[in-house]
Amino acid sequence: MSLTVSGVSRSFGGVEAAQDVSLQVDPGRIVGLIGPNGAGKTTLVNLITGVLRIDRGTVSVDGEDVTAKTIVGVARAGVSRTFQNVRLLTDSTVLENVTLGLAQQEHSSFLDCMLGLPAAQRDRRAVRDKAMQILADVGMVEYAHRIASGLAYGHQRRVEIARAIAVKPKYILLDEPVAGMNDVEAGEMIQLFKSFAERGIGILLIEHNMRFVNALCEQIYVLNTGRIIADGTPAEISQSPDVIAAYLGT
Amino acid sequence: MINFFYAYQPLIDFFLLNAGFALSQYIVLRAGVFSIATVGIVSIGAYSAAIVMKSLGLSIWIAAPFSALVGLAVGLLLSVPLARLRGPYQAIATLAFVQIVAAVALYAEPLTGGALGMNDIPKQVSTLGLVFALAFVLYILGSLSRSRIGAIFDALRQDEAVAGSLGISISFHHALAFALSGAIAGLFGALQAGYIYSIEPHQYGFVMLTMTLAAVILGGRRSIWGPVVGAAIMTFLPEIARPLAENRLLLNGLLLVVVIIFLPRGVVDGLIALVRRRRTSAVTWPAESSKEVRT
Amino acid sequence: MLAQQLFNGLVLGAVYALFALGFNLVFGVHKIMNLAHGAIFMVGAFVGLYSVTLGLPLWAAFLIAMVFTGLLSVMIDFVAFRPLRKTGDAEFAMLIASIGVEMILVNLALRASDARTLRFPFGIVPVEPFFLFGMRITPLQFVIAAVAVLCVTLLAFYLYRTSFGRQVRAVSSNERAAMLLGVEPRMIYLQTFFISGLLAGLAGVLIGLAFNSINFSMGEPYLLRGFVVLILGGLGSLRGAVVAGLALGIIQTLSVAYFPTGLTDIIVYSLLFAVLLVRPNGLFGDAVSDARVARR
Repeated sequence: MSLTVSGVSRSFGGVEAAQDVSLQVDPGRIVGLIGPNGAGKTTLVNLITGVLRIDRGTVSVDGEDVTAKTIVGVARAGVSRTFQNVRLLTDSTVLENVTLGLAQQEHSSFLDCMLGLPAAQRDRRAVRDKAMQILADVGMVEYAHRIASGLAYGHQRRVEIARAIAVKPKYILLDEPVAGMNDVEAGEMIQLFKSFAERGIGILLIEHNMRFVNALCEQIYVLNTGRIIADGTPAEISQSPDVIAAYLGT
Repeated sequence: MINFFYAYQPLIDFFLLNAGFALSQYIVLRAGVFSIATVGIVSIGAYSAAIVMKSLGLSIWIAAPFSALVGLAVGLLLSVPLARLRGPYQAIATLAFVQIVAAVALYAEPLTGGALGMNDIPKQVSTLGLVFALAFVLYILGSLSRSRIGAIFDALRQDEAVAGSLGISISFHHALAFALSGAIAGLFGALQAGYIYSIEPHQYGFVMLTMTLAAVILGGRRSIWGPVVGAAIMTFLPEIARPLAENRLLLNGLLLVVVIIFLPRGVVDGLIALVRRRRTSAVTWPAESSKEVRT
Repeated sequence: MLAQQLFNGLVLGAVYALFALGFNLVFGVHKIMNLAHGAIFMVGAFVGLYSVTLGLPLWAAFLIAMVFTGLLSVMIDFVAFRPLRKTGDAEFAMLIASIGVEMILVNLALRASDARTLRFPFGIVPVEPFFLFGMRITPLQFVIAAVAVLCVTLLAFYLYRTSFGRQVRAVSSNERAAMLLGVEPRMIYLQTFFISGLLAGLAGVLIGLAFNSINFSMGEPYLLRGFVVLILGGLGSLRGAVVAGLALGIIQTLSVAYFPTGLTDIIVYSLLFAVLLVRPNGLFGDAVSDARVARR
């Protein structure tokens, strides 16, 4: 039972953006993926989640092979994500953004929806209440009825995290979730992610901020120029000469 | 008052038909599909209704649902190949579809009457019938709007990759939008055929296409009232004064350019957004005021 | 007989190519689908006709029509497209704005002509055909072919051999990068829209002469044909536009000659639909699919 990436490669016109990448995220664990800018972290997220085609290698979710699946298929297998450059529905409210994540959990039939029957209305109310709870978890309740595009960047990130967690994922890939947040906010996020893990969700945390990753992760993979150059505990990573070289840019 | 109504009745009927066409165009645009197939399906609906009414002697009560079903089927069929295309490519492919329909209507003379079209279609559609049909479509679309389907359509229009990353099937909901759009187009095509005595291929061309599209843009692509208001503006505004009526195209063209530049969401959605912004900036919203939540 | 048909098809195709070149230039460089292009073409025919009616020689009428439509096109960009460039869904918004402009121009022409079909005075171009390799060629056909070859050559020279053209091509491959390199985007818009309008106006006068029939709705069928050429040749590909324009001319002429009337449009648009499905970026476009959601 895990999100397993094994031997994944992809090249763009001869440039290897991912080279034989293997990693594993277990339920309830927070795994870090770090690397300098341009290392291919976001490309890897896109490969895992079905945005980009995989040349070689496989991705599986709890034993189910999702290598050839589209975005929708991977999401339905239980993998959720946030985007590096926050992607909210800018014309919609915060609440609408989060309820979208819950839409798949509604039970009413198409006919209920089309005729506006009570079942559909109940669904909407239930979903809205659930969304409010999730917004409370990320500390955004008071912004529920604001238009998403008007929010501060850090707040937009929280909304996106709320939306990604709303789909009840088994695994969640967070692409630089604390970028644009101050230390206090980042501290709150640490607590939040730990609570996700306690619920049994496996988290892949993509970051280039070592300090933040060290505070959260028991295991860290280091990516550089599309390859995993080291993996291990924070202590092991900080000792690795390859990692030091990559980060100091020799 | 009653005299007033009779004087303007043809115009009102015309508006009701236009509003129906606009709603068909609206529902695909709302779901983020740039299809302009509506006019083609309206044409198919009008012809199939005219054919069953004339050759089989069936009443509009059977012909209209029949055409709606035909439209639904055509919409679904179109959605399959169009799922592979995006943006302007979808627009061009559906434009080609509209041209094919017009060309077939011209060519299949034994069935459609060719360039002369079909005449002496029994007139069985009244103003009341049109009001009833429009209300029915608005009720369905309104219900869908308030349900998850509306929320998903809005999401697909804004960023379909995000919707996909939440496990929402893009192709299914696009097909749904196509089917709805097709059914509405088929229905109103039939009503038009049952209203105006005669139909000909030339009616369902580029002009009707741009007018229908313009109505949706003017009104708005999110609220169900957008296309209705848009159709009203395009139908009634030119009739206010004679010089305006003579320059109907000019007026509508100007409106279109001005609206897309200064009110890109359209009149209705633009106003809704304005009201919302007023309110949110005046007070920080208390969380429990869920009555105010618009879906 | 077949040779004659092929030649007639090539001449018709040359006009399609001229029309589509301008359409495609603007789309290729700026990603603007200008649905007013057909109306600009129609305006060109009107201006050419009015110039002749005023007693000007034909060459002057061509020149005036071309400059007029070139400036008209620049003005449309300035008024209708420029304010939309920075908006979120600019591609969609500009397409809509261009429909608005199309309606305005068609309405003006409708009022100016009183919805009548206008004609050039008889004998303005010699109608006596001459014969070459057994083919019957009218002087006008010869002029159309020559003008098309000249225009394509000039455009190719401009795009590939001059510094302005290099800037235009730089903008078309990456506008932001080109701006960083010091390309002034306003100059590029000015040039592409002027050239695009000029070509449309030229095609308008040529078609007006060839069929000697000018009316407010003459742009519409050419706009639709323009789409066909655009897709067959590949969006934004100029070489594709020329090849596809000629091919379309030939296909159309042959199907008119050898198939029952009325089938032509069905064939042409079914072809368009089919090509879109098999190769969404056109026969000559690159093979990258534009589907954004599947694995790429």
